[in-house]
Amino acid sequence: MTSPTDEALRLPRLIPILFAVALLGLVGLTTWQWRDGPPVTANLLQLLPSGAPGELEQLAEKRMQEPLNRDLMLLVQHTDEASATALASEITDTLTASGLFAQVRRSVEADLSAIRQQLLEQRLALLDTASREALIAGPEVFVQQRLQRLYNPFEGSGLVPVEHDWFGIADMTQRQLPQPGNVRAGPDGQLLAEYQGQRWIVIHAQTHGDAFDERLPLQVEQLVEDARLQVETAKGELLASGGLLHAAHGQRQAREEASLIGSLSLLATLALLLLLFRTPRVLLAVLPVAVGALSGAAACIALFGQIHVLTLVLGASLVGVSIDFPLHYLSKSWTLQPWNGHLALRLTLPGLVLALLTNVIGYLAMAFTPFPALSQVAVFSAAGLTGAFACATCLLPWLLRAPLQPWPAPLGWAERGLRLRQALLGRIATPWLLGVFVLYCAFGVPQVSFTDDLRQWVSRAPALQEQAQRIGEISGFQPTSQYFLVRAATADELLASQEALSSRLDEQVAEGRLAGYLALSQIAAPATAQKNLQLALPHLLEASAPLLALGVDPERLEAELLTLQTQPIAELEQVLAGPLGEPWRPLWLGSQADGSVAGLVSLQGLGDSAALTGLTEGLDGISLIDRPAELNRLFAETKTQAATLKLIAAGLILVLLCLPFGWRGAARCLAVPLLAALGSLASLGWLGQSLTLFGLFGLLLVTAIGVDYAILMREQVGGAAVSLLGTLLAAVTTWLSFGLLALSSTPAVSNFGLAVSLGLLFSFLLAPWANPSQSHPQARRPHGTA
Amino acid sequence: MIRAIARMFLALCLLPLLAASAHAFDLAQLSQQLREPAVIRGQFVQEKHLRALPLPLVSRGQFVLARDHGLLWLLQAPLQQDYRITDSGIAQRTDSGWEAAGQHGTTKRQNELFLAVLGGDTQALQRDFELDLQGSSDAWTLTLTPRAKLLQQIFTAIHIQGSAATERIELLEPQGDSTLLLLESAQIDDQLSPVEQHDFSY
Repeated sequence: MTSPTDEALRLPRLIPILFAVALLGLVGLTTWQWRDGPPVTANLLQLLPSGAPGELEQLAEKRMQEPLNRDLMLLVQHTDEASATALASEITDTLTASGLFAQVRRSVEADLSAIRQQLLEQRLALLDTASREALIAGPEVFVQQRLQRLYNPFEGSGLVPVEHDWFGIADMTQRQLPQPGNVRAGPDGQLLAEYQGQRWIVIHAQTHGDAFDERLPLQVEQLVEDARLQVETAKGELLASGGLLHAAHGQRQAREEASLIGSLSLLATLALLLLLFRTPRVLLAVLPVAVGALSGAAACIALFGQIHVLTLVLGASLVGVSIDFPLHYLSKSWTLQPWNGHLALRLTLPGLVLALLTNVIGYLAMAFTPFPALSQVAVFSAAGLTGAFACATCLLPWLLRAPLQPWPAPLGWAERGLRLRQALLGRIATPWLLGVFVLYCAFGVPQVSFTDDLRQWVSRAPALQEQAQRIGEISGFQPTSQYFLVRAATADELLASQEALSSRLDEQVAEGRLAGYLALSQIAAPATAQKNLQLALPHLLEASAPLLALGVDPERLEAELLTLQTQPIAELEQVLAGPLGEPWRPLWLGSQADGSVAGLVSLQGLGDSAALTGLTEGLDGISLIDRPAELNRLFAETKTQAATLKLIAAGLILVLLCLPFGWRGAARCLAVPLLAALGSLASLGWLGQSLTLFGLFGLLLVTAIGVDYAILMREQVGGAAVSLLGTLLAAVTTWLSFGLLALSSTPAVSNFGLAVSLGLLFSFLLAPWANPSQSHPQARRPHGTA
Repeated sequence: MIRAIARMFLALCLLPLLAASAHAFDLAQLSQQLREPAVIRGQFVQEKHLRALPLPLVSRGQFVLARDHGLLWLLQAPLQQDYRITDSGIAQRTDSGWEAAGQHGTTKRQNELFLAVLGGDTQALQRDFELDLQGSSDAWTLTLTPRAKLLQQIFTAIHIQGSAATERIELLEPQGDSTLLLLESAQIDDQLSPVEQHDFSY
């Protein structure tokens, strides 16, 4: 039975029909976007601004990242050596049989003849700098040392037979060849690493795909877990490390957290709605949340091609704000009796529109930072909120027409709360309270550390980190994110540059600040150096009396000299192509389009990146690439930028709010969220927390939400107590979706959750000041009915 | 690596040996017998037979084998050079004291294996070699044949002969080169001289 007034209040029927059509279109778009599987990515790099400007820098970055994303290192240890070998062999077989790996290596396939050949043909290029200098400076000493090595019972003969290497150049080369890390081949060819009296068998595997492939990390993790179980059952020990395992951990963690936090917040929200409104119908209020998530994802995929897991996690909660829209008008049912959804919507619509606009302005400001992570979250949120708003206004009132009888007790609590507040204000006036608040902030804010670290973006995995660290200690392979990019006109100049850098790095190694490094100049001598060596060879022949005394045929010595002198100069690429060049191959970036060449110097076990500063001074064409530092710097810049953008957005919001409230009212409404943000920043300081980029984003989000609360408290549709209750409800549901993120094991996400939780608390507490009449006990207004 | 392996074998040769069983005199007894003396001193002759040289490379010197410390190998002719092998690796004497030989060192496993041989640890050797013991306690021959392929590319066999102590070690390489070590006039003692003590300690 509807009265004529009801008819007049009713909104046009066309609205829900149009909305349904739009929703169908959205579902269709999403289905089409997901046609080839989920367009979801977990690649952290895609969230970061591409800091590497040039093609060469990108190639270098790719070279350095590849082993991190593909390599898996396993160490097996058992008190009984035969068992260790058997276990390692079984694991190797399992890994190989899985088909996931391009290579699984447990022993050196000693292709001794290929190594022998390279030593023979390229010994002048392979000979290390010190030996080259020694040969030229003192041929007699060089021959004398050769003799000593021939007699030394503990130094067996080299790979190249003595009759082809009387002068011992190949022998010296083989001896001085840098051996990166502690991993050595045992007598049976098995790769071993010895550390603190323990012997570990090393298995090194490389996957076909990389850590960002969707399923690969979890598959590899499973294989490793099986292997671990197998080894531990046999009372041995297994250590594993690799980017893949971290990726798997992150994926699993994100999935578990998203479903735990998601279902927790959903269930709690539903329970709350049921408790307050006492009809299952009210559960329809979550519909806008679903529509919001759908529109957010669709907008992101349409704009960016795909959506990142982190965006999905943060964004999904962000849309949790969208439940505020229906709550704000549903809360009017406490005083608006009999319940009329259309009337409630008409009454609250201006406030809701203002709330939506201020929110969207706030989010879109974020989209202009150069950080893809922030742009994605901003686009997701803006689109999501708009979708949710549309659903809440265009569909929900038609679905929620039945009488609504909310639980009356909460309204009484809200009234009591307001009375308490008035009593407090009666004793201590607002300016005094503000003074205390300012003091709190003045001492809290300076305690906040504004550090950012890429590691905060990755969920903590202490077990994996501990293993990686132990493997680093045992194997001596401690890859470092910092490296040097060296550019030169020719390969010779490149080698010379790298050598100059190497001598500076040697000092750092000697001082213990660096465990080691790999440079192309370690494996190949420049052509000029090879020619100098050839010129010095006749002196070696002149000094060869001790060899002749052994009975060596002089003709043989002359023949060897002639061979060495007529040997073609070995180019860097030829040296790298040989079996001995393998560890150095990734360092060579080759010739560029302009004919110049480029190569890398990689570092191992860097204690403090400060050790590298100033090392390139005076060396042309060498640049230190320190991506983590670069990113952290970028984080800091982005924070400033985001804060600036937010201030501009605040200006826009102020202008917007001036329209309904006048500039005084607008300033009051804006002061609430800004003070709330300041208060939570100070609280972070008191709690000893830092403000990360994501934490800042949380604060910015809170200012947007805080504006909503201020607007609704100012509008006071249905009375102050009802508005306070509506604000409380909105704050609680928002906290359920964001505040719970504080539980996340990813520091960036948890920092975000904490910032939002604090901000919500302050926004709620400060919101009543948005209405001037609420600030003075004298101007108390009767409330209760609309 | 090859060098390290070679080193291990050469070293192992000097030493007391071990393992598989014969009737009257077995590896366990041999181990036992070789582990008995605390210190053995003597002179050595090393002959390196290279196919490319008409005459072997012959060198001479003194050795001190201490059961609880390791080995001192003092090369005296045709050149002078002192070596020391302990469980921390192989070192070479320089003007400034002992210096670890080679920049990379061996893996601990190789040192351990070598010292296991010194100490008469049967199991360690049997892992990498087939062992064959002939003769009696005062005239025995132990033949080592490598099991692993990598080792086979370096040695075909190692023959060790001795009585109360090891007396003769011969290493055969696949290309036909060989090394012969003769340990002569070995004398047994129960302690090191102060100089030797010092050499092992620093």
